[in-house]
Amino acid sequence: MREDLLDPRAVLLHESAADREEAIRRCGRVLVDIGAVAEPYIDAMLERERSISTYVGEGVAIPHGTAAAKEDVRRDAICVVRFPGGVDWDGEPVTVCVGIAAKDDGHVPLLAALAEILLDPDRARTLREATEAHQVIEELT
Amino acid sequence: MPERTVAVASASGLHARPAKLFVQEAARLGVPVRIRVGEKSVPAHSMLGVLSLGAVHGTEVTLESDAPGADEALDALVTLLSRDLDAEEALDA
Repeated sequence: MREDLLDPRAVLLHESAADREEAIRRCGRVLVDIGAVAEPYIDAMLERERSISTYVGEGVAIPHGTAAAKEDVRRDAICVVRFPGGVDWDGEPVTVCVGIAAKDDGHVPLLAALAEILLDPDRARTLREATEAHQVIEELT
Repeated sequence: MPERTVAVASASGLHARPAKLFVQEAARLGVPVRIRVGEKSVPAHSMLGVLSLGAVHGTEVTLESDAPGADEALDALVTLLSRDLDAEEALDA
């Protein structure tokens, strides 16, 4: 696992969003703030979401940009943004967004690890209910 | 048991959009199919299961099913995996 993919500054556990678009913009903003992507990547994340939902199950969505937006990715990174109040994701309740910036395949092992966690109900709950950044980083890396 | 092995053709591998399209097609076909990478086997209709395989472009995956209609379902899914679903997105745009 590449530990450099998840910057502690990219773990936000007490956010709120009125809707899916706001939640995605929040994730995109985090990726911009840590220097992983350029500003246009945020719109590409919204475009991707319109073409196909990034909901994966267990209250988790994985917003990311389109293939065309890879040029806006400066380095592979993910962010973990938790919305304790929940966000309506096209009918599914989402409490955790794992935003992804990826040029190549560097993030795939991390996504696979995330999926493994979510397939285990206890670990999925730990991730959904985490209140400290280090809990999330320890689970994922 | 009928099975097919195919290399994942999508540029971004079997996650994100290509994974979603694959899982949706597996669910739509209604035939229980499992997808395997090495020793790890998961239901083809499970998004989390498919993501957990960590399959990238070129990874060889094996599809298996002994349910009625298995051959047709496996062929349909192999066809899907043989296409670069990311390139098709670029054409859509």
